[in-house]
Amino acid sequence: MTNMNRRNMLQTAGAMTFGAVAGCATQGVADNAAKTPFSVPVTTIPVVGTNEVFPVRRVYCIGRNYAAHAREMGSDPTREPPFFFQKPTDAIQNVAPGTVADHPYPTLTKNYHYEVELVAALSRGGKNIPIERALEHVYGYAVGLDMTRRDLQRAMGDEKKPWEIGKSFDRSAPIGPLHRVATVGHFTKGAIWLKVNGQIKQNATLNHMIWSVAEQIARLSLANELFPGDIIYSGTPENVGPVVRGDRLDCHIDGLPELSIRIV
Amino acid sequence: MKDDLRNAKFVIDLGPQPSLPIVGSDMRFPVGRIYCVGRNYADHAREMGHDPDREPPFFFMKPANAVVQNGATIAYPVGTKDCHHEIELVVAIGTGGKNISVEKALEHVWGYGVGLDMTRRDVQGEAKKMGRPWEMGKSFDESAPMTALKAAADIGHPAKGAIWLKINGEFRQQGDLAMQIWNVQEQIAYLSNLVTLEPGDLIMTGTPAGVGPVQKGDHLEGHVDGVGDLSIKYAA
Repeated sequence: MTNMNRRNMLQTAGAMTFGAVAGCATQGVADNAAKTPFSVPVTTIPVVGTNEVFPVRRVYCIGRNYAAHAREMGSDPTREPPFFFQKPTDAIQNVAPGTVADHPYPTLTKNYHYEVELVAALSRGGKNIPIERALEHVYGYAVGLDMTRRDLQRAMGDEKKPWEIGKSFDRSAPIGPLHRVATVGHFTKGAIWLKVNGQIKQNATLNHMIWSVAEQIARLSLANELFPGDIIYSGTPENVGPVVRGDRLDCHIDGLPELSIRIV
Repeated sequence: MKDDLRNAKFVIDLGPQPSLPIVGSDMRFPVGRIYCVGRNYADHAREMGHDPDREPPFFFMKPANAVVQNGATIAYPVGTKDCHHEIELVVAIGTGGKNISVEKALEHVWGYGVGLDMTRRDVQGEAKKMGRPWEMGKSFDESAPMTALKAAADIGHPAKGAIWLKINGEFRQQGDLAMQIWNVQEQIAYLSNLVTLEPGDLIMTGTPAGVGPVQKGDHLEGHVDGVGDLSIKYAA
């Protein structure tokens, strides 16, 4: 069913079901196109060079995927492999290139950290995807930030408790628009850096990843079936650190426009 | 950006959004986020090797598309040899908010259902040992079977009543909602300080003692007095 048909069906059924978050597109239906008592928005990410948007199904994030970052977090990257966690889709905060988006300092943290990351968005899914075919599943790439309530994350980890309040809270996933593979190709090397108030803080290259994007897709697909709409925050290099209200973050990956936010 | 994308076309098809039936209505309840409370029944905390003293509640999440409809037959999950059942009361949020007071918390509840917090226990255990996140153990595909929801307007707010799980006709978990360490209003209030709750959010409120492994071919039946009955089969 095309999206045009779905919109028509919504109109004739009189059912206002889901509306998009940042994109405000009214699309998506509940099972059987049933009416719902209220709307839950679909999270979408703009696609560069088009009027189209990428709807998000799940947000996967990888941890300790750059050796120096693993060490600064207290792990031994030679003995402890990277691992995956998730953020809810509504954590996405779309940031347009050329703007400095206001990003709210969240509640209940005194140690709010930035983590600049390459994000890969999938248009094809599967189980047990072989590494050599993995990149065929990627629709496009974006610059992203895995914002982290570091004190809450560490406290939970120390108590052997889940990390969500440290990683998966409101607005914890700022992201630039998606650039299609057809236009920009795949990203396996090149600089990735982050500045706070104009000072370089994180500065590495994408080939410092322990598991490449292809490997992450392959490994994730062993434990979860991947679907179109899944996106993967592919890890951050060393020198993560705190920001406070008023700070400006500028994030860069070679080949993509910068992502800028101001903490408010 | 909002107006420009009002009629934007989706570049991929996500299919229907996760939702749950509503008892007595042809409407469905759209699922936003799923929060789960950990170790909220004292006897379950003890069986997991912890002291159930009233430490603050803690939360993990499942993605909305982990929901499985009542009556389904599902495959034994990949990546585990120890998939566990955890029967739970599910709270559905109808009115969002942040910093919600305990006194007003139930006003935010739309209704209730019965759910299973299915768990890859071995995967969760490894993560706990290393202080790592729980998602691969808790937030995997088909990890949240749930019944249809009943509106609080119809059934009120159950604070006590039997909650149980049978496998192949035999009781495995038996408890009472009154055994929750943190009640529903306390969970809502606490959670709403950490995140802003939205309509469509679900809270899985914890499980009593008796969690254990499921096997291929098992028939799980879960029940909460006045709320519902859940029936799920694992394919042989």
